[in-house]
Amino acid sequence: STLPAVAEELLREIRKAFQESSHVPDDLLLGLKFIFGPCAVPALDLVDQRSVTRVRSPSGRTLYQVLGSSGKLYTCYSSCHFCTCPAFGFSVLQKSESLLCKHILAVYLSQAMGACQELSVSEEQLSNILLAEEEDEG
Amino acid sequence: LCRGGLAERLCRLQNRERSAISFWRHQCISDDKTPSDKSDVLIVKILEIFEECTIQVAICQQLEQSPVALSPEDAVISAEEPILKVLFTRETAAHLKSRPQDVIHIYPPWQKLLLQNADVPVIMNTYFSQKVLLSEHSEAREKTHGLTKMLIKKNIISLAQTFRLDDLDDKLHQEPSDNQVACAPQIHNNSDSKQHPLALSAVNDSLLEMVESQGAVGWREVQVRVVIQRVYCLPAREGCRSHTQGNKPLCATPVTNSDPPNVRLCLLVQDAYGMFSEVQLQFLSSTDDIEQYCGRWEGKSCCLAGMKILQRTTRGRALGLFSLIDSLWPPVVPVKVPGQSQDSEMMSTNLPPPSFCYILTVQSGEIHVEVDEEEQISNLYQPPAVHGLKEILRINGCNERCSFWAQVLYQRLQTKHNVPIDQRDTLLFVTDSTLQNVVHGIPKVVAVSVTASCVLSMEVREALSAGSRLVFFKDALWGNGRIICVERTVLLLQKPLLCWAAAADLSELTGPVRLDELDSTTQANSVCALRGTVVGVNESTAFSWPTCDRCGNGKLELCPQDRELLYCNQCSEVVTTPVLKMQLEVFLSCPSRSQSTVKVKVWHEITLFVLLTMLLFLQTYEVQSVLGKEVGLLNCYVHSVTSHPNCVALEEIVLL
Repeated sequence: STLPAVAEELLREIRKAFQESSHVPDDLLLGLKFIFGPCAVPALDLVDQRSVTRVRSPSGRTLYQVLGSSGKLYTCYSSCHFCTCPAFGFSVLQKSESLLCKHILAVYLSQAMGACQELSVSEEQLSNILLAEEEDEG
Repeated sequence: LCRGGLAERLCRLQNRERSAISFWRHQCISDDKTPSDKSDVLIVKILEIFEECTIQVAICQQLEQSPVALSPEDAVISAEEPILKVLFTRETAAHLKSRPQDVIHIYPPWQKLLLQNADVPVIMNTYFSQKVLLSEHSEAREKTHGLTKMLIKKNIISLAQTFRLDDLDDKLHQEPSDNQVACAPQIHNNSDSKQHPLALSAVNDSLLEMVESQGAVGWREVQVRVVIQRVYCLPAREGCRSHTQGNKPLCATPVTNSDPPNVRLCLLVQDAYGMFSEVQLQFLSSTDDIEQYCGRWEGKSCCLAGMKILQRTTRGRALGLFSLIDSLWPPVVPVKVPGQSQDSEMMSTNLPPPSFCYILTVQSGEIHVEVDEEEQISNLYQPPAVHGLKEILRINGCNERCSFWAQVLYQRLQTKHNVPIDQRDTLLFVTDSTLQNVVHGIPKVVAVSVTASCVLSMEVREALSAGSRLVFFKDALWGNGRIICVERTVLLLQKPLLCWAAAADLSELTGPVRLDELDSTTQANSVCALRGTVVGVNESTAFSWPTCDRCGNGKLELCPQDRELLYCNQCSEVVTTPVLKMQLEVFLSCPSRSQSTVKVKVWHEITLFVLLTMLLFLQTYEVQSVLGKEVGLLNCYVHSVTSHPNCVALEEIVLL
């Protein structure tokens, strides 16, 4: 497959550019739009609003929580592409129309630009976050 | 959108781009001229097309010049022409309707991206693309092709393919895959997990370290060496969950008939740092094995692997577990202290008792506990400290675990009717030589309450009903003046090989067992002995009935042939010498408790008193004949003691 490698390279370029000049050039932003389509602008908006939090537990488990525009908190996994938002379930899983949802893209962009908030929780709290998602889906 | 933010910027750029695209497209259609040979124009020939998400990926060959000048036959694929991967958005692709062999002109601004591990460059931002028609033949071909729908292969992207933004040197975002919540399918495949560099034989000696480094997902390759301090069974809370091993139907059979299938074998283990953990192993189909496991495993070292954390519990939430842990504290040998160099002068007496404990369980159906049964008992092992009952009754504390060896005299099931039989408590009346040989001050017999959560093996149950038995009570709980057997208490018929006896061997009782005599201190739910004189009979509740002398069946019938004879259905025979059972309530005057009315229900046919009374009563049917009779020492169970009216209700019992 080609697209993931392209997406990854694009995000790396953004990270490099940001590290060097604290600025993301226009052509990379347009590249985001080209590859990720309608996700791009909402994802950047989430980054602008510092909506992404990286949650860590002492054992090293990590996950991301993104505060969506509706005020709802979505959980994104770090070991694979997964988000608890309905758009992910529809566009990515069901239709295979997108690589990611805006929340996962926001996670990557926040990583690239150092815009993640950090939160340390206990093992139990992390498990509870994951289990809470399970209950909602049930 | 945030003012001045990235999103706002992209919006503006995007709007500009969109208008440029529509303007350009409009211009191409209206002008209808072949575009001039600008150097920035990419000329590509499509070789292969497929789709990923909504992006169309075209493997193309870059052409040096426009093939317009050449005839179609000359436009042969040359090996030296570079290959490109050109990406088109869904909208551009719909506009182009490209097919293999088509030639596309891509106008700037397009972007070229070089991937790290790939030779083929990628072309993006291909909005300004136009298909070039070669000749009239092509036009005709185009029209026919336009009618047939072309199927384009669609690649499904795996969710497991995540993006690594950092360079290989930069370990900032690197997370080992083992610690993450398993959602990628490869993690479940056992063969894949062998990628882990740690060999299976790596053995650790710290439970805490393993728990904290491996997380809740489980310890796949590492083992922890621990000492088994105790082996016991716990009733499973979720009694309806089926287990791979047990195929027994979970029907409501009374506990006396079959072993409950929902009992787990558990170990209380301790590591070299003194930390405890409770390990819940498999479900047992037969609780008879518990005695075997205790004998073979307690005190031995073992290696745990493939465990997962069920719970991290604390003192306040698991009183029972911590009372057992406290009985094993402080450790009998010095323990390691984390972070300090290990020298022999480590003091373990100053360490506070543990405040938390991890409860572990087996990860999959297999058990990963390797007990070295041949090995010697570990130095860290603390066998149960056995005391005489006299000493135990004098313990000051509450919720103390105690172990003792005692003779069970009488067993009584709790009579609460709204509680199912297998969940009712049992009262065992026990004694030992330390209680029997005392003259004053302490009771001769003690009641031990066995709750439903204390798992009894079938062997023990049968032994308790059959006859007077010596039973070893391991880790019973003493508190509030009572001994109770709860979760983690184990009743064994054989004395364990290794235990610390505080005094001489307590097992043998010399002489017949004596009960305390009924007096003013006698309480309900106890046993006692009494003597007195019959002062009255409760005629309304007296009755007798014949029973079969062979099988004890109390429901005999009249023989159809001869209505003078009795017939037993269970034996299918005539009963010639029936045994008469009788129930009678007598009122006694007991000198040891002269102020109370003593009412005794007698119904065993064995005692002399009853026989005599019965004979007299039945023959004469006169209460007069029993009044004034002396009643010898009767063993009784006290049902109730009331003060207003001052009455004691008892029932004659037979000791085991």
